[in-house]
Amino acid sequence: MVTFWRIIKLSFLQQLTYRTAMLAGLVTNFFWGLFRAAVVMALLSSQGSVNGLDLPGALTFIVVGQAMLAFMNIFGSYELMTSVYTGSIAADLVRPVPLFFLWMGKDLGRSVVNLLGRGVLLVAVYAFFFPIQTPKSGLGWLAALGSLLLGWLLCFAWRFLVNLAAFWTPDARGVGRAAFIASQLLSGFILPLRMYPDWFVQFSQYTPFPGMFNTSMEVYLGLLNGEALLSALAQQAAWLAVLVLACYAVLRLGLRKLVIQGG
Amino acid sequence: MPEMIRVEGLQKTFRVMERRPGLRGAVLNLFAPRHRMVQAVNAVSFSLQAGELVGYLGPNGAGKSTTIKVLTGLLVPTAGEVQVNGVVPWKVRERYVRQIGAVFGYRSTLWWDLPVIDSLELLQPMYDIPPARFRSNLAEFSRLLDLEPFINTPVRSLSLGQRMRADICAALLHEPHLLFLDEPTIGLDVVAKEHIRQFVSHVNRQRGVTVLLTTHDLSDVERLCERVMILDLGRLLYDGSLAGLNDAFESFWSLKVDFAEDYADVNLPGLPAPRREGRQAVYAFDHRELSSAELIRRLLERFAIADLEVRRPPLEETIRRIYQEKLLVDGERGQAV
Repeated sequence: MVTFWRIIKLSFLQQLTYRTAMLAGLVTNFFWGLFRAAVVMALLSSQGSVNGLDLPGALTFIVVGQAMLAFMNIFGSYELMTSVYTGSIAADLVRPVPLFFLWMGKDLGRSVVNLLGRGVLLVAVYAFFFPIQTPKSGLGWLAALGSLLLGWLLCFAWRFLVNLAAFWTPDARGVGRAAFIASQLLSGFILPLRMYPDWFVQFSQYTPFPGMFNTSMEVYLGLLNGEALLSALAQQAAWLAVLVLACYAVLRLGLRKLVIQGG
Repeated sequence: MPEMIRVEGLQKTFRVMERRPGLRGAVLNLFAPRHRMVQAVNAVSFSLQAGELVGYLGPNGAGKSTTIKVLTGLLVPTAGEVQVNGVVPWKVRERYVRQIGAVFGYRSTLWWDLPVIDSLELLQPMYDIPPARFRSNLAEFSRLLDLEPFINTPVRSLSLGQRMRADICAALLHEPHLLFLDEPTIGLDVVAKEHIRQFVSHVNRQRGVTVLLTTHDLSDVERLCERVMILDLGRLLYDGSLAGLNDAFESFWSLKVDFAEDYADVNLPGLPAPRREGRQAVYAFDHRELSSAELIRRLLERFAIADLEVRRPPLEETIRRIYQEKLLVDGERGQAV
């Protein structure tokens, strides 16, 4: 456990050294967020609300979501894949730490930097442009943060699983791109799931993706209450268990046919 | 001495995709990929006793690194048995790697953008090293490897020699009984190499760490190892002492003589005429038939001699011949395994 915290801390410190990248990311996120907010405004201004999601809610969904983008790493990552291809995974495998938790620690440290450096800053700036809603009670905040953490874990487990494709194909980037586009769409990151047709929403419920993003945002907005809230959190937790088990099973198979490249 | 590593009939086969050239080939590759099996390691058997320092030699592609990767638990072999300290490395990798140290010379296990000390301190909780023990180990290794000047420098800014020293320290802080060094001196200058050799020799002698070392630098081997194993084309060709290697493959030694006076004829009966230059002559002789002592005695009987020097062929030369002429393959196996 101490090791896990120390890995998070090191990764946090390491990420802090990439200041230019952070600034560039911040600027890109900021303008892209404005654009997406404008699209939602255009869609909703004539209708009032869709499936219980009104304009201020939808704007908050988009804008807070935009701020969480780097934290959640919604666009996906290819680092584990790269380490398989370059053979640097060898350095991780000679250490007595489960690969899943080693990478989770690295990822979390980086995410926290992005949350503080990009997320908080973006929300603060957007607050000047848009009426950003917040949870109405302490319990609401607690549920939102819990759901966000589960969302983060789901995102991580998904990225890890996708990256494991590298054990089977000499270029898993294509697999990665397809997988991450699917998860962006079905997680409700691109547009809130409530704005999609019913059949699409229903289909998405059979996948772990809404739990990666849409659920957390709905909890944050207070759209889910009582039983619906508990059921949403339980679904996130259940999908997390499924994905973690899948990661472990696939990793086990992958390591058996691992070929360490180079030298 | 207890047995530390036992390898029996180790075999590792890789499936390599064969690419056909050209556009037509590319289309064919897509629909009907062709594979070729490459035997990286074939029927290799050996054992290491605790406390040994063994050199593992072989040309590029011989299968050295593959063996090391199997022994460190990273690869699952195609066939054969491996036991290290009583366990099968790849079956219990996470537990097993606690007891070993590994350095892959061409890649680092350190955090690239952080100061060296950060990477080293992570190892304390990772291996559950008691804090006091960790401090004293770090102090000792840091002194021996001279890490102090750059311990707060980010790894990315280190020279190769510094990085390698830091990596070796990182492989040993948890006091493993067994150390795998895969080309630890690759690309280093003479001083840095010597530094690393001294350290390896220190941990082997003082701490009794068993070391298996692969290298292309034969001075590493001459300086450190009493025993060498030579691998080529995935097969173990020789396993024995370094001296024995020389004896087995280089029967001709040379004796350089500086005469004290000018002699017209310095030939000895039964020996080919020496190469001469002024008062100097170089005799070539088969040391298995004629000892250098005997040769010197015969010379001293006949001539006034100022100086003498017996030369064995350099190890480099022997190894080069072994690789090139495949001296050990099949029939001519000498004392090889």
